[in-house]
Amino acid sequence: MSYILLAPEILLTVLALALILIGLLVTEKSKNMIGYISAIGLAASLVMILGRTGEGSFFNNALVIDPLSQIFKIIFIVVSLLAVIASIHYFKDNRNQDEYYTLILLATVGMMVVASANDLLALFVGFELASMSTYVLAGFEKKNPASLEAALKYFIIGSLSSALMLFGMSLVYGVSGTTNIPEILAYFKTAQVSGIDILAMIFLVAGFGFKMALVPFHMWAPDTYEGSPTVVSSLLAAGSKKMGFVAAFRVLVLALVAVRADIQIVFAILAVVTMTYGNVVAISQKSIKRMLAYSSIAQAGYISLAFVVMTQMSIAGGVLLALGHALMKGGAFIAVAVVGYMVLSDNKNAKNTDDISNFAGLGKRAPITALSLFVFFLALAGIPPSAGFIGKFVLFYSVTVQAVSTASTWLLVIVIIAILNSALSIYYYARVIRYMYVLPPEGEKIHEPLPYVIALLLAVIGTIGIGLYPEPVINMAMNAASVLGV
Amino acid sequence: MTAYISLMIAIPLIGALIAFLTKTREQARVVALVSSGISLLISLIMLSRFDTSFTGIQLDEIHSWIPSLGITLSFGVDGIGMPLVLLSTIVIPLTVIFAWGETKEPNKFYGLILLELTGVLGVFTSLDFFVFYIFWEIVLIPMYFLISIWGGPRKDYAAIKFFIYTHIASLVMLLAIFALYFNAWQITRTPDFNMFHLLKNYPLLEGWLIPNVITIKDAIFIGLLFGFIVKMPAVPFHTWLPDAHVEAPTAGSVILAALLLKMGGYGLFRVIVPLLPFSDSPGKMITLLAIIGVLSILYGTFLALAQRDLKKMVAYSSISHMGYVTLGAAALVPLSVSGAMFQQFSHGLITGVLFMSCGVIQHSAGTRIIGDLGGIAKHMPKLTFVMLAGFLASLGLPGMSGFIAELLILINSYANLPTFVILALFGIVFTAGYHLWAMQRAVFGTFNEKLGHIHDGADYEIASMAVLVLLIIFFGLYPNPVLNMMTATATPLVRDAAGLVGVIV
Repeated sequence: MSYILLAPEILLTVLALALILIGLLVTEKSKNMIGYISAIGLAASLVMILGRTGEGSFFNNALVIDPLSQIFKIIFIVVSLLAVIASIHYFKDNRNQDEYYTLILLATVGMMVVASANDLLALFVGFELASMSTYVLAGFEKKNPASLEAALKYFIIGSLSSALMLFGMSLVYGVSGTTNIPEILAYFKTAQVSGIDILAMIFLVAGFGFKMALVPFHMWAPDTYEGSPTVVSSLLAAGSKKMGFVAAFRVLVLALVAVRADIQIVFAILAVVTMTYGNVVAISQKSIKRMLAYSSIAQAGYISLAFVVMTQMSIAGGVLLALGHALMKGGAFIAVAVVGYMVLSDNKNAKNTDDISNFAGLGKRAPITALSLFVFFLALAGIPPSAGFIGKFVLFYSVTVQAVSTASTWLLVIVIIAILNSALSIYYYARVIRYMYVLPPEGEKIHEPLPYVIALLLAVIGTIGIGLYPEPVINMAMNAASVLGV
Repeated sequence: MTAYISLMIAIPLIGALIAFLTKTREQARVVALVSSGISLLISLIMLSRFDTSFTGIQLDEIHSWIPSLGITLSFGVDGIGMPLVLLSTIVIPLTVIFAWGETKEPNKFYGLILLELTGVLGVFTSLDFFVFYIFWEIVLIPMYFLISIWGGPRKDYAAIKFFIYTHIASLVMLLAIFALYFNAWQITRTPDFNMFHLLKNYPLLEGWLIPNVITIKDAIFIGLLFGFIVKMPAVPFHTWLPDAHVEAPTAGSVILAALLLKMGGYGLFRVIVPLLPFSDSPGKMITLLAIIGVLSILYGTFLALAQRDLKKMVAYSSISHMGYVTLGAAALVPLSVSGAMFQQFSHGLITGVLFMSCGVIQHSAGTRIIGDLGGIAKHMPKLTFVMLAGFLASLGLPGMSGFIAELLILINSYANLPTFVILALFGIVFTAGYHLWAMQRAVFGTFNEKLGHIHDGADYEIASMAVLVLLIIFFGLYPNPVLNMMTATATPLVRDAAGLVGVIV
């Protein structure tokens, strides 16, 4: 068996460990290069994943490499890459940079393991690796109380959700006698559904629900995204959240084939409540990071529609929206980081740098940032041609196809609610756009730091590129969904 | 296959991007003029290649875009689209010339105007319903910014009202489009967004949306209709228009009235008229359209009569003139429908002159309130000359394009909708009334000394208005170049509906 397929993970792990060592050896000034090394490492592993086609399973079938794992790995690496590039400026001259980049790389590896996990234990280990690293990252600004609060909340809720998940897994293991996912599926296909199975499902749904930040398991997300260093928020909202989705795709979709009808309605309710709640609450936010957090909750609601119908196309749509969301949301948080930099360069002691009033006249003060944010917001609202639109479209399309072919009225109602939600979301995005372009600026034009500009432009190119030429990405997502065999 | 249309759409888009990046006003406006000028050139070449005797789509082109969803970039023109393409490419360069002196953020200003051109050209030429919708939405965003950055005192309110109103209407239309799409999908099981395929499958829809209240067919029909008549706009969905016009900069008003309103009318001809015979209650729908049309004519006229602000008066006159379009389309007689199409073309030219006049007066006298003006003819002779021509065209003076359009509509609609035509006729008297009355009070009479020293419009402003006036007179005397192609397309369009004439109330 060739371990070459695991090269990206191996590269990143080795790099992460090496960075700690390098950090010990070099002077504080030259620590700034660590960011560049991490970016190069991530880019290299992205190239490896994009360049290699091949499937395989490793370690007694605990990890698999298949189209589904690969597309999610692309999502995770892209998000980390954007965050790392932006961090080159954000954490410039910080004496703990080496640890920061190590943690980001380890978090990425954890997420990649989750994407590949074919065994409940591997899944859990991946989850924990990613979570532990991100708990620390969320509190990385240790002199900022908001950051500490964010980290603590995230840690407590994260641990709780891990415990729930683990308990669910232990129940599954107790019933089926195996932790290997395909074997669990095989067991459920033949076995009678008992009360314990349902209980296990409930715990798993709750555990994954916390990670995905579905209502009512969402309350940590706004606080954590608001308090964390903005580049870390970008990693959390755009990347680590998707772990929950890939895990849910693998575990729930497979297992739910057996207990189908019951859980569909649960996800239908979760999805509708989540998207509506996220959008409605986002409207009244003054802090842009909170607004983005609630908009992520809403997006998670849309993605959960994939679980409601569970056709190949709907899962492809969910994957596409996850990919688009990674680019758009990651980019949007980085843009907020630029605004934070801008506000702090006006006034060193400024608080609440992401307040909406700081976005007034951004079109004049930081034109590239404003334009990128404009693109991300329109894409998040689902306006074509953008990755956000393609994802939403395929998703809503698949649900409607299902509704039409099974003549199901309630599915149609759900689609209409989802479309109305998209329309509603335009309101709060447009409000920020109005601040950026219509209101007069409250300061001088600033020089936008190059790392931020590169990260923003990469995200913009990805967002619009997928919108203009979606065919290859759609095919990739369809292949990924076909793995689940629904 | 020649790619005239995609080139014509792409060039203003590229021009817009370049204009955004330019640093000085000179560069921005030259870029705007050159790229819109090239579009004009391409549309003139298209006109010369256009075969008036052929009724279907011509100069068509198809590019694959998202095959897995059945979305293609397909463009083409026929007698419905070609005149409006011509109108757009005529009006935009003239607007750029008119706004030659813009000083506030000129690079964005000219860039947004070019984006508008891209949007409207896309709407008038797309044959894929999905791409059509994208362009339909693209038009919205630059106009929002044109109003909210360069607008008058209440610009924020007007811009957001415009945006919300038309966006909600578009969403309703989108739902109807998706219903059509899934209907076709259910029959063929292949994804396909081609506009004609979707419309062709409409008659096969069956069933009630809400039992015994509304059928699916009627619901889709009303959804599409709603999207279009809000854009036109027709009474009672017109309230965004006066606000938007009063606050918008002159160039924005010209584009709004001359081109954006035409998108609604275009939708009527492209989508509503072909579907009309197949909806479950065609008689009711025709009556509904006719009521909306006549209501718009009369209500717009009376409100125009009551306005103190010259620009608001012109805005209401637009509502009234667009009412004729609805009426002509509803009558389903070949010549009434082509008259309605001609009304769109002609109104686009005329309303450009009217809004430009308002802009010049506002700039020179500092007010548009009719009562505060008076006797400005003495100080603004050139403006008075072109403005008078525009007003006379708008009230329907023979020899100008508006007369031909309204005459065609009224005479031919009488066969099917006699009551409504007679009602509409009352509007004509008052239309002449408010135009002449406003002219008399604002422009002629004794000079109001409080206005102080006022100067005539700049040469470039007068020149662009004069070109429009010449075109109005040209098409008033010799409408055939565009009227022939309209009639050629309108004839087969309403042939299907001929059997329904008896149904009409």
